[in-house]
Amino acid sequence: MKHNIFKSFLIIGLIFIFLGVTGIELVRAQEKRDFFKVGVVTSLSGELVFGGTVTKRGYDIWADTVNQQGGIDIAGKKYKVNLVYADDQSTPATAAVAGERLITQEKVDFILGPYASGPTLALAPITEKYKMPHITGSAESPLIWQRKFKYTFGTIPSVNLTAQGIIQTLAQDVSPKPKTIGILGIDDPFSKFTAEAFKAASEKLGLKVLKYEIVPEGSDYTPAITSIKAVNPDIFAMGNHEKAAIEMMKIAKELRFNPKAFVQHYGMTTPDFRKGLGKDCEYVFGNAVWTPNMKHQSTILFKTTKEYADAFVAKFKTDPDYTEAGSTAAGIAFQEALRMIKATPPLTDAQKDALIGALEKLNIMTFYGQIKFATEGDSYHCNAGLQPVALQYQGGKTVEVGPGKLRAVGPKYPTPSWDKR
Amino acid sequence: MLIDGLLIGGLIIVVGIGFSLCFGVMHIVDFAVGEWVMLGAYTGFILVRYFGHDPMIYLPLVFLIFCALGWAIYPLIYRAVSGKRHNPVLMGLVFTFGLSILAKGGALSVWGYHIQSITTWLSGKSLALGPLTIPALRFSGFLFGILITLLLMLFLYKTRLGITIRATAQDREMANLLGTDVRKVGALVYSLYAGVTGMSGILIGALFSIHAAMGVKYCTLAFFVVVLAGMGYVPGVIIAGLILGLLQSFVGVYIGGRYNLVALFMVMYGVLLITPKGILRRGI
Repeated sequence: MKHNIFKSFLIIGLIFIFLGVTGIELVRAQEKRDFFKVGVVTSLSGELVFGGTVTKRGYDIWADTVNQQGGIDIAGKKYKVNLVYADDQSTPATAAVAGERLITQEKVDFILGPYASGPTLALAPITEKYKMPHITGSAESPLIWQRKFKYTFGTIPSVNLTAQGIIQTLAQDVSPKPKTIGILGIDDPFSKFTAEAFKAASEKLGLKVLKYEIVPEGSDYTPAITSIKAVNPDIFAMGNHEKAAIEMMKIAKELRFNPKAFVQHYGMTTPDFRKGLGKDCEYVFGNAVWTPNMKHQSTILFKTTKEYADAFVAKFKTDPDYTEAGSTAAGIAFQEALRMIKATPPLTDAQKDALIGALEKLNIMTFYGQIKFATEGDSYHCNAGLQPVALQYQGGKTVEVGPGKLRAVGPKYPTPSWDKR
Repeated sequence: MLIDGLLIGGLIIVVGIGFSLCFGVMHIVDFAVGEWVMLGAYTGFILVRYFGHDPMIYLPLVFLIFCALGWAIYPLIYRAVSGKRHNPVLMGLVFTFGLSILAKGGALSVWGYHIQSITTWLSGKSLALGPLTIPALRFSGFLFGILITLLLMLFLYKTRLGITIRATAQDREMANLLGTDVRKVGALVYSLYAGVTGMSGILIGALFSIHAAMGVKYCTLAFFVVVLAGMGYVPGVIIAGLILGLLQSFVGVYIGGRYNLVALFMVMYGVLLITPKGILRRGI
């Protein structure tokens, strides 16, 4: 018996020694690679899979376009990029585990971050712990930037800055001027702060907030919308992601709730919003920091906004929205920072630290607009180079209606009643 | 607000009724209840996309499709919960949890990540009752829930097969000894449950949105309603569904929407502590 136990331990010991040796060999093999290994943590399953796929498309088109051009040009030699995906399953805890796996096992050079703010807030401490450069091309919650993570950056400005655009347009540019607003937000780091941003902007611009309600994700929003309908506000503003964006509009219609303006933020810019609601998406207002109609010009990867939009449509058969563009821009930010410090793969710890320094100094013009990360204040490491634009559905597509000089066409206000659309 | 509560309750009844029947007769806690809703919603969406017409027309067809699916799956569940298992209820729970994950993953692979929506001729319409506005689609969901419950009650209490099902629910071994094929009874109940729950997916898909992960919240609601109604007591589902709907509506308006789930959990714990057989004390 004792002999058998000894044999078992011996076999297990030999297996461990074998795995250890081959593991070391694998690590050594990785150290010699001539391509950048880019970790991507995003939601490929679970509640946020739609948004996860949106970010994936943005990251994929960046990597594919870079590779089609031969790779990132570092001091005359081109290095391709290889994306390694890890699914955060739409939960913050899994995002942290996925990030740790990419860093410790996959040995990635840098990380492109999740779709939603919750998983991003869970991933950021992990990238901080391992001193791993990380750019999110999607997350917008101010909570991320207020915590001043050294290794985390974001290409989309914080929602507390962008959500003001539409409220400003409605408060100043339409007639008769709205006086009251009812706000409904979902209880997650992005949607809640969107609702708070609507509230802060309304109070600043003299709109009276009649009702401010935060509800759990996935609940039946009917009671909350009924209570907002009861106070009859001029504007009904919603902080949500894409699913709730559709559901809240459907419920408002069911309840025959006819405010003078429906306001959303992220959800209304997605193609599913238009397809899901049909003509009921007409007149809905929203916000974005980028649209395919913009006229940005660049010398990096995509020469114009139109060139990016055309390449995107050719690849994915759908129009890009600002999250997809922001995700592509995250890749571009890394590629330009790598060129600045002339870092070749695999990156050493010192090069990763130098990459953070380069990202902080970055000031480039891309198809997405300017990328310049803030280095102080509440928007620390968040892109400070973009202005929010107010959108409205007119004729089945989103058009820029403000604020000020960003207006392409005038806003249609007030919204006609449901049966007159 | 009262109307809102009743109409929300109607939807909860639709989802909870089959779940209660399934637990009452077979003692299976089906974790995949929300996924039956999701698959029903997708089936309605696909039928409308390929054949046109109003999704409500497909309710009977979806019922039959899901009855057949339930009948086909039941032998697997029966195998998981019968034989020399130490804890058949737990085995059923684990098995259906697996089914739920499989259905979610399958839906994601087949139909993708896009959020879909279906529209019926009732969408956006409302009934004016003096100063009150009653959403027509929600009202039809409410009527549907009541109708299905009444039909199931008639079936269970007024037909020979229904009496056999109730006998099996009361004492499985005795029913078996008296010549009842408990396996067939189980298959019938599970297919009825799958049919009714799949059908409710069309209504829910028309009211909200359709996506692979939509089932989770209906699973939670089904658990709430069955605990409140008394586990396995089908008639209690109507009262429990309406109470939960009213609770959500009143809490949402007077206390705040963020406290809805807290209120539901508190009621559920209260019921489990004070009257574990449900508010009508008729459950198992």
